[in-house]
Amino acid sequence: MFLQVQNLTKKFNHKTVVKNINLSIKKGDLVAFLGPNGAGKSTTINMLIGIIQPTEGRISLNGFTPQEKVYRQKIGVVFQESILDDDLTVRQNLMIRRGLYPHLSRNLDYWIEKFALQKIIDQKYRTLSGGQKRRVDIVRALLHEPEVLFLDEPTTGLDIQTRELIWQVLNELRREMNLTIILTTHYLEEAEEADFVYVIDHGEIIASDSVENLKCKYAQNRLTMKVRSKNVQLPGKYQYQWDGNKISISVSTSDCLEILSQLSDQIVSFDYRQGNMDDIFLNLTGREVE
Amino acid sequence: MKSLIERNLRLFFSSKGKVFFSLLGALISFVLYLIFLRQNMQESWSAIKDSKRILDYWLIGGTLTVTAITTTGGAMNNLVSDRESNRLADLVLTDTSYTKITLSYLLSAWIIGFIMQGFMYAIMQVYFMIQDKISFDGIVFLKLLGLMILSSLLWSAINLLIFTFVKTSDTFGKINTIIGTAAGFFAGVYFPIGAMPTFAKSLIKLTPAPYNAAIYRQVMMNKELNHALKGLPVDKILNFKKSMGIIIGKGFSTETFNMGITFVIVIVLILGFYRYNKNVVLNKV
Repeated sequence: MFLQVQNLTKKFNHKTVVKNINLSIKKGDLVAFLGPNGAGKSTTINMLIGIIQPTEGRISLNGFTPQEKVYRQKIGVVFQESILDDDLTVRQNLMIRRGLYPHLSRNLDYWIEKFALQKIIDQKYRTLSGGQKRRVDIVRALLHEPEVLFLDEPTTGLDIQTRELIWQVLNELRREMNLTIILTTHYLEEAEEADFVYVIDHGEIIASDSVENLKCKYAQNRLTMKVRSKNVQLPGKYQYQWDGNKISISVSTSDCLEILSQLSDQIVSFDYRQGNMDDIFLNLTGREVE
Repeated sequence: MKSLIERNLRLFFSSKGKVFFSLLGALISFVLYLIFLRQNMQESWSAIKDSKRILDYWLIGGTLTVTAITTTGGAMNNLVSDRESNRLADLVLTDTSYTKITLSYLLSAWIIGFIMQGFMYAIMQVYFMIQDKISFDGIVFLKLLGLMILSSLLWSAINLLIFTFVKTSDTFGKINTIIGTAAGFFAGVYFPIGAMPTFAKSLIKLTPAPYNAAIYRQVMMNKELNHALKGLPVDKILNFKKSMGIIIGKGFSTETFNMGITFVIVIVLILGFYRYNKNVVLNKV
């Protein structure tokens, strides 16, 4: 395994924030930590990047620990809040950060072009929009060409277009650089991009699997129908939920088609929805993601 | 480290607010003198020949000390705000060590303190050259440059030690205001040290501020003052100089010795708290 984490635990003043977390992450994978605010995602990330010490547990990236310089060289971090200087231009900010690494193979122009920063490169960081800032933040994290990119809530507060743009860039980077990406999020759509999802709640991993498998287990597709009258004859083998004139059922696609054809003259309207991460979270914790 | 120093300098000088407020203490002492104190002091010095010009030097010496104190304090803004945000974490994750990052705050404060003292000196020197026809002496100027470098280093170290314990920008602002206000009293520019009660005198002498002001004053005004006071008994001259804060201990060597000792103590304390502080700073979250 590329990144291996065993029994990771963090206690702050006897309060356990992260409890016994185990991770094994393959190179080139996109892994998401999904969980509500305060679940311990950021603490986990901060331990993985080595800026806070775990109370217990072991972290190893290709055999290196977070205390080693080589480990730090292999990772790039996009922090939750912006860490560049508002009063400096994008170019100044990036040049200063470049100055903190002795050997860099790619020059700044490469990144400017790749992330289409030409128009904003001489603007003060303060004047950028949220999405532009994020793009610059990501460039900053990639300057030293890390093998793993950590993103802590990368698209919180951004509009949909910007979010899509950032995802487009991240996916491109994965293809080109075989970059491993680890991100935390409380957006369910974001987690759906991942190869593997760890669902975290109260500092513990409550589920870990591929998105497909999680959906199979915890988020079945759902059919909702509005019917003409409550006296409708329903096929017997399903669990129905009534809400006024609305009936909803968890069913597979083929069963759905069967039900619809049987009841075709009774149905006013219907909706067939793919199970999503919301359902997964709800099924796992009994709560919705905040 | 070079690029970090460059960053700190850019961040300081690109903000008019930071530059202005770090100079505020010095500007206040200068303006207070012009508006309120000058006339009063000139009257009490009237027996001395050329008292006007000599007093101008006296003021410049004290104000430069205040400048060294407040501008190197203002320069520590980055240190505190980097810690408050995750910026420090971002810097630590680079190939630049925590020691070098800390050193970059010290060195940039040193440079800032030097430049700002030079700036204040230029303003005051030019103003008094026009107003009171004080002279410009090249040798004295070179000595002053040397003193500016030394006092800036001393106060950078002291401010680094003080702000090592400050965790938020809010607290930083409050402490800086206190230091800025107190600096004028400690350097003895708002009124001379001789006019202070014994307790205040002893308290002030525990800091390097009055010594710093004293050596500035000695370098700038000793010659002219001795000339003006020629013929008076030696002990009277000494008493006068002591009450004006031109001499604090026995003279130049005591003042520099005192400042040197302070510097050593401060550096030892910084190193002593280094590990503790590094852990606190990096393990926040």
